[in-house]
Amino acid sequence: MLKIKNLNYSYDEENKVLTNINIHLEKGDIVSILGKSGCGKTTLLRLVAGLEEKSSGEIEIGNTVVSGDRIFVPAHKRNIGLVVQEKALFPHLSVIENVKFGIKGSRVEKNDIALNFLKLFKVDKYIDVYPNKLSGGEQQRVAIARAMAPNPKILLMDEPFGSLDKELRKELREEVKAVLLQNQTTCIIVTHDMEDAKEMGNKIIRLDEGNQV
Amino acid sequence: MISKINSLDLWKIVPVIIFIIFVSPVAIVLSSLFGEFSKNWLHLIEYVLSGYILNSLILVLGVSIITLVVGVGTAWLISNYKFTGKRFFEWALILPLAVPPYILAYTFTGLFDAYGSANNLVRDLFSLQDSYIFFPSFRNIYGAIIVFSFTLYPYVYLASRMAFLNQSKSIIEIGKVLGLNKIKLFFKLALPMIRPAVIGGLMLVIMETLSDFGAVDHFAIETFTTGIFRTWYGMYDLQTAMQLSSLLLIFIVFFIFIEKYSRKNISYTAKSSVYGEVKLIGVFGVNNILCFAACALPLFIGFILPIIELLNWTYNYKLEFFSGAFIQNSFNTIYLGLITALICSAVALIINFSIRFTKNKFLSFLSSSLTIGYGIPGIILAIGVMKLLTFLDSNILSYYFNIVLTGSIIGLIIAYIIKSYALSSSVIDSGYQRIGSNMDDVAITLKNSGFKLLGRVHFPLLKTSFLTSILLVISEVIKELPATLILRPFNFDTLAVSTYIYASEERMFEAAAPAMAIVLVGLVPIIFLTRTIRESRPGSQIKN
Repeated sequence: MLKIKNLNYSYDEENKVLTNINIHLEKGDIVSILGKSGCGKTTLLRLVAGLEEKSSGEIEIGNTVVSGDRIFVPAHKRNIGLVVQEKALFPHLSVIENVKFGIKGSRVEKNDIALNFLKLFKVDKYIDVYPNKLSGGEQQRVAIARAMAPNPKILLMDEPFGSLDKELRKELREEVKAVLLQNQTTCIIVTHDMEDAKEMGNKIIRLDEGNQV
Repeated sequence: MISKINSLDLWKIVPVIIFIIFVSPVAIVLSSLFGEFSKNWLHLIEYVLSGYILNSLILVLGVSIITLVVGVGTAWLISNYKFTGKRFFEWALILPLAVPPYILAYTFTGLFDAYGSANNLVRDLFSLQDSYIFFPSFRNIYGAIIVFSFTLYPYVYLASRMAFLNQSKSIIEIGKVLGLNKIKLFFKLALPMIRPAVIGGLMLVIMETLSDFGAVDHFAIETFTTGIFRTWYGMYDLQTAMQLSSLLLIFIVFFIFIEKYSRKNISYTAKSSVYGEVKLIGVFGVNNILCFAACALPLFIGFILPIIELLNWTYNYKLEFFSGAFIQNSFNTIYLGLITALICSAVALIINFSIRFTKNKFLSFLSSSLTIGYGIPGIILAIGVMKLLTFLDSNILSYYFNIVLTGSIIGLIIAYIIKSYALSSSVIDSGYQRIGSNMDDVAITLKNSGFKLLGRVHFPLLKTSFLTSILLVISEVIKELPATLILRPFNFDTLAVSTYIYASEERMFEAAAPAMAIVLVGLVPIIFLTRTIRESRPGSQIKN
C-alpha cells in the first residue's frame, strides 16, 4: 500500500531533516513512528501527504508513484486522510458538515457515510453542533471521523492523542484502533509517546535526528 | 473606605456625563420622528424619495460587488502567492484610504470630463479632432460606484488580509488533503472561514458610501445625504431634514450592528488552530503578470491616478502652492484637529480607565455605544449638534452665562469627537490590553488609586497609544467634509471645505494644494495600519 524508498528531505545543504528513510506497509498495517520532538516525524507525514516535496527518493501509494523523479502528485489528488494534534476542524461548518467535507457521492450517500462514522466514534448526537461547542476529546473524534470518511488509502495521524488526558487517551486509542482494524485502514501514527506507539501500531519505526533506527 | 467609594463613584459618573453629551445630538435627530411631519414630505414622497432610495441602493450594491472582488481578491493573492511587487503591494494597496472619495471624484472629473486631462492626452497623442471623446464622463452613478469602490476597497482588503493571516495553516492543509484544489480551497474553505471579517469590512464600506456627501454632490446624484442637505438649505425645512436623517440613521445603525456582530464572530476563524509559517507559492510568467496587474490596477485607480492629476493641476497652472488662503486654512485645520484629537484621546482614556478601574459592565456598554458614532454620517451629526447648541444657547448659556456656542468651533469639536471616538477608544483599549491587571493591584496597595493610578502608572505606559490616537484623530478630522461645511464658524475654512468650494466652483486647479495636503496627512494612519498588520500574525513571521 505504501512504499517509501531512500527518502531524503532537507531545507538546504546543511539542514538535513530526513535521511534515507525506507518504509513498506501492506494494506491494514498500522505503523507507529516514534521519536522525540524535531526528529522529522511530522515532516515524514507531510511528505507522504504531499504537503512537502522531497529532496530525493520515492513515495509510492497503492502501486502509483506519487513523489519521484519529476513526479509530484499534489495533496488533493493522493486520497490521504490526515489528523493533526490541534484537530483543525472547520469552525464555520457543523460536525456533520465537517465529516461530509471530503466524501464524494450523492447527498444521501454523503450523509449516510458521515453519520456512520460519527456513530463509530460516538459523536453522532452532535451532528448539528459547531466545533467550538465540543470538548477536546469530542473534537478529536470528529477530526478522525472526517479523515476516515472519504475512505482514504492511507490515514496519517500526527500526535492524535497528544492533547488529551490519560483516561480519554486510552479510551480513544482503543476505539480508533478497533475502527482501523475493522476497516482494514492502512495507518501511520506519529507520536513521541511510547504507550501510544505500542498500543496502536503493529509495527514501530524509530526516528532519531532524521535517521531510521 | 469613604474616599474609595467616592473615587469609584466619580469614575462612574464622569463617563455617564460624557456619554450624555455625545449621544444627545443623535437622540435629538431621532426625536424628530415623533414630531410633526410637514407638507414637504408630500413633495419628497411624490418626486424625490424613491430616487434617493434607489440611487443609494444601486450605489451600495455596485460598490459592494467591486470592493468584495478587489478587496478579497488582492488579499488572497498577497497572502498566498509570491509575485513581482508582492512586498510593495502588501502595504501599498491600503494607500487609497488616504484619498477621501470626494477628492477622487474631483480628480476624476478633471481627468475624464470631455476636455479633461485624460481626453486631452488621447487627442494629443493620436492627433484627433477636438470633438473626439475617448473616456466617458464620470459624472453619473456608475462613476460614483467606481470612485467609492476604489477609495473604500482597502477596508475589505484589510479585513480579509488580517483574516487570511490569522487563518490556521492546518485547516487549509486538511482541506488540501481532503481533495480541494486551489480554486475549491478558496471558495469552499478559505473564503467561508473569513466571511465574518469580510462582512465587517463590507459594512464599513457601505456606511462610508451612504454617509458620503462630497462625491455624490459633485456628481449631482440624488442620495439621502444630498437630499438632507437640499431639504435643509433649499427648502429651509430643518424638521423634515432631521426626519430624513433619521431614516438614513436607521439604515446605518442596522449596518453598524451587522458590522459589530461580524467582528464578534471573527474569533471563530482562529480557534483551535496552529499558526504555522505561511509558505508563499511562487508564480511565474503570465500568472506573475496577472497577479501584478490585479494588485496594480486598484492602486493605480485609487491612488496613483488622483495624485498624478493633482500634480498636473499644480504644475500646469503654475499656482502659488503656499498661498495665504492655503496657509490660513491649513492652520485652521491643524488647530481644529489637534484640539479635537487631544480631547477625544483624553475622553477615550478616561472612559477606558473607568471601565478598568470600576469593572462596571454598564460603562463598557456605554463605551461601545459611543463607538457607533464612527458610522453616523457627518451631515446628521451636524444637524444634531446644531440643534443641541441652539437649545443650550437659547435656554441656558446666553441666559445665565451670556455666551453663545452656535457658530463656534465647539459644535465642530463635538461632531468630530463623536465621529472619532471609536478610533481613539480602540487604540487606547489595545494599549490597556498590554498592561496586566496585577500592575493595578500593586499600584493600589502602594496607595496609588484613581487619578494617581491613571497619571503615575497607566498614562506613562499608554503614551504611545495616546500619541497614536492623536495622529489618527487628526487625520480623520482633516478629511471630514459635511459636518465641517455646516458647523464651521463664519469665515472659517478648513482644507476639506476649501477643496469642496473650489471643486464646486469648477476651479479644480486651485483645489490641488488643499487636496494634496489632505492626502498627505491621510497617509499617517496608513503607516500605522501597515505596522499593525505586519505585527498581527500570531506565531512566526511570514516567509517571503
